[in-house]
Amino acid sequence: MKRSWYCLLLITSGLVLSGTGDFAHAAAFEPTKPIEAVVHTGPGGGSDIFARAIAELMQKEKTISQRMQVVNKSGGGSAVAMSYLVEKKGDTHTIGFFTGVWVTNPLTTAAAKVMISDLTPIVRLVLEPAVFAVKADSPYKTMKDFIDAAKRNPNQLKQSGGSITGRDNLVRLVIEKATGAKWVFVSFPSGGERIANLLGGHVDAMVIEPQEAGEHIKAGNMRVIAALTDKRLPSFPNVPTLKEQGIDVPVIPQARGILAPPGVPKEVILYWEGVFERFVKSAGWKQYLEQNQFEDGYLKGPALNKFFDELAVKMREVLKEAGAKVVR
Amino acid sequence: MEALTNLLLGFSVALTPGNLFWCFVGVFLGTVVGILPGLGPAATIAMLLPLTFKMDHTAAIIMLAGIYYGSKYGGSTTSILLNVPGESASVVTCLDGYQMARQGRAGPALGISAIASFVAGTVGVIGLMLIAPPVARFALRFGPPEYFALMVLGLTMVVFLAGRSMIKGLLAMLVGLWLAGVGTDLFTAESRFTFGHMELLDGIDFVVVSIGIFAVAEVMVNMESRGGAELFRVPRGIRNLMPTLKDLKDCRFAFLNGSVIGFLIGVLPGAGSTIASFLSYGAEKAFSRYPEKFGTGVIEGVAAPEGANNSETGGALVPLLTLGIPGSNATAILLAALILWGIKPGPLLIQDHPALFWGLVSSMYVGNVMLLVLNLPLVPLFAQILRVPYFILYPGILGISVVGVYSVSNSLFDVWMLGLFGILGYAMRKLDFPAAPLVLGMVLGDGMERALRQSLMMSQGHLSVIVTRPLSATMICLALAILIMPLVNKVRSFRLKAVEQDV
Amino acid sequence: MGEKKELLSGICLGAFGAYVSIEALNLPYVSEFGPGPGFFPLWIGIGLTLLSLLLILANFFALTPDESRERQSRLSIGRALVGWSGLILAIGLLQWLGFGLSLALLTLFLILVLERRPLWTALSVAIGLALGFHVIFVLALGLSLPSGPWGF
Repeated sequence: MKRSWYCLLLITSGLVLSGTGDFAHAAAFEPTKPIEAVVHTGPGGGSDIFARAIAELMQKEKTISQRMQVVNKSGGGSAVAMSYLVEKKGDTHTIGFFTGVWVTNPLTTAAAKVMISDLTPIVRLVLEPAVFAVKADSPYKTMKDFIDAAKRNPNQLKQSGGSITGRDNLVRLVIEKATGAKWVFVSFPSGGERIANLLGGHVDAMVIEPQEAGEHIKAGNMRVIAALTDKRLPSFPNVPTLKEQGIDVPVIPQARGILAPPGVPKEVILYWEGVFERFVKSAGWKQYLEQNQFEDGYLKGPALNKFFDELAVKMREVLKEAGAKVVR
Repeated sequence: MEALTNLLLGFSVALTPGNLFWCFVGVFLGTVVGILPGLGPAATIAMLLPLTFKMDHTAAIIMLAGIYYGSKYGGSTTSILLNVPGESASVVTCLDGYQMARQGRAGPALGISAIASFVAGTVGVIGLMLIAPPVARFALRFGPPEYFALMVLGLTMVVFLAGRSMIKGLLAMLVGLWLAGVGTDLFTAESRFTFGHMELLDGIDFVVVSIGIFAVAEVMVNMESRGGAELFRVPRGIRNLMPTLKDLKDCRFAFLNGSVIGFLIGVLPGAGSTIASFLSYGAEKAFSRYPEKFGTGVIEGVAAPEGANNSETGGALVPLLTLGIPGSNATAILLAALILWGIKPGPLLIQDHPALFWGLVSSMYVGNVMLLVLNLPLVPLFAQILRVPYFILYPGILGISVVGVYSVSNSLFDVWMLGLFGILGYAMRKLDFPAAPLVLGMVLGDGMERALRQSLMMSQGHLSVIVTRPLSATMICLALAILIMPLVNKVRSFRLKAVEQDV
Repeated sequence: MGEKKELLSGICLGAFGAYVSIEALNLPYVSEFGPGPGFFPLWIGIGLTLLSLLLILANFFALTPDESRERQSRLSIGRALVGWSGLILAIGLLQWLGFGLSLALLTLFLILVLERRPLWTALSVAIGLALGFHVIFVLALGLSLPSGPWGF
């Protein structure tokens, strides 16, 4: 669908954006037709927007000679996208955009049979940092205030977030375990509702990306009380991390990156690794990271496999502790 | 006065030749994707996003927004002509729109839907311009209990959709509610009623159900006798192809009702245009002098929901532009576009980028005029489709249904489901079960279950949270009133009959 | 006694309601806080069962059959079902033959079997429709439709 849409529009609007392919490196593999980039969210979802931005940047930076078309395979968490990639076994012109959900989803969903180890990881690109935010007029100025209040009135405070296997809830679970405090997690499918419920005072806290929080803080609607990262965030130099506030919990990463279907030839993997090695050095990518306040999470090869393995182990533990049904 | 100077600034931006051109490109593309079932504005905006990076940002947002509100204009076309709902928001339009087409009034139905879209679309923009900040603050008062009450209010619309038998209407609605629950549970990630099919983990798409139950079932009914049940009469002459003055007069209230309900529902990030169209249809019928005629081809039954789903777009931009909160997939992509361009959407957007905001608002006035001018001449053209002999039309409708369903997520599984819902819809027709309540249940089921469970999570399991909050209590009372009203009427008519018999 | 079809639909929906309730009982009724995933389906199932009973009862006490509805001849329902089978067949062919050819075959089937028009009419309509759909949806609008081994 997307392919010809592009063609039509390119022709009608006369805006020919396709790269000129001046990166004909010595690599044995070179794509000969547009690349299909599979994401697990519908148009407008986090992964969809990320993939479209990457596709656009790669064209601008002329890192690939072919266009990249985003294909939305939403459903069952990430199950539909992942099994679509398995169906595309050996396909040299297909890649997928993974997130942490691709690791946790098969752990809790019986029907999601494809594991990330069944696919071919290529690179991890970013780590999305997060902060713990409350409403601007809330009495909680530090994480300690919030935890103390939650201990005084167990299950009275509320946190808004997405799916229960998502990072938002896992963050709550690890903090609850470390501190003994208890509060309630309320799921909202859309990001808009999560923020609206915090600003409307229906919930007391939420986990949010720093870029998103920035605007609400500037407008005086929100306050950030902890950085959910290893080090303080450059954009919030005055906000201490959880560890600095005496809560020693593992940082739950939200990783984004690229993988390929199972069984692709070695030279295709080498090709993509080369492409992304050049890409992450480009000025456009650096600017994108800064704009979105993402952490550069470039990782490939055995290190990436190790990351996935460790993440799966950690997530399984966290989910089990929380009493979620872990199926594999 | 301030609004006026701002608007002048806006028009000075919107009326430059370049921006006018992009506005036209946007509304034109919007009309096209609106007419086609399955291809929605969200996917189109996402696909066009890369083209906009080289454009001026104001021009780009004007074009992308044009696709968004333009798509709402075309949505009614296939609903009215073929009983194929082009998108979820125009399902209600099928009820009276298709009946009008059967009676040879396809032209007036298409015409009134363009006019209602224009009126309500413009009202939506006025709302966006004048009362955006206070309305956005009001919308924040909607927490889960309020959404639950809103969904209950929505469900009471079954009273207006049930037709002859309330029991059957309620049964159809319950089946719809069940269908909405199929898939992965948001709160516990447990799969429900998926019969081991991975494709069902994400639930059943609304478009699949509504196209099956409306379009395929309709074709089947027409296949019963050779030569189609009856040919549509398409009167000749331009006068019969446009709404008459009387039609416009009949729709006065529908325009107002659609505009207001659409805008208010649009402002709420958790509601959506489908709910807006159902509510305005219900309101229209409730206050009509001839409610019994609804569903047989009443022009207000087309004007109200079509108005509502256009006014909704103005409303949906309110939380996006004043708070940076997207209410739907399409607005989420607009938000992403703004971020990619380096514009920070959020509470400060109007202050920081006045030319962009006011340029967009002004371009929406212009765009709505363009859409009216673009769509009205298309009316006679589209009405001619019904002249096509039935033996070409029916395979064509089946083809469009398959394309529409397939393009939702490029899945053959969905097309099989279309066949399944086709036969279900046919059985319902044969057994006198109304289709609209099933669709209503399906639209509301998901949100209603979610809101109830969120409310109870917040209140530690106390149901009282729903009736102790003023907003939700008001809506629950309204819902009760709607449920009790027909009973009162029944008792009254029964007593009248008894009195007559006594005499 | 009222109509048989009322009784039939009442029984079917009652059975469906019972099925939904039983399935729902297998899902947790309450979760961490508030209702669990089985809560809503259980009540929907109960509602379906009760309303179906009501439908059967109301039908039982309806003294005269509803005369306003004319009896549907078996033939006409049969025709509709034949048409539907054609659609199902065409859907089954989609992944092997692609959209264009499947639509053409469905059109041929409907026009020849149900409408009993001459072959040349059927052929020209079938080819015309398949081409028209290809031009509008694939070439002009760029949708990707299921395609056969020959690429359309």
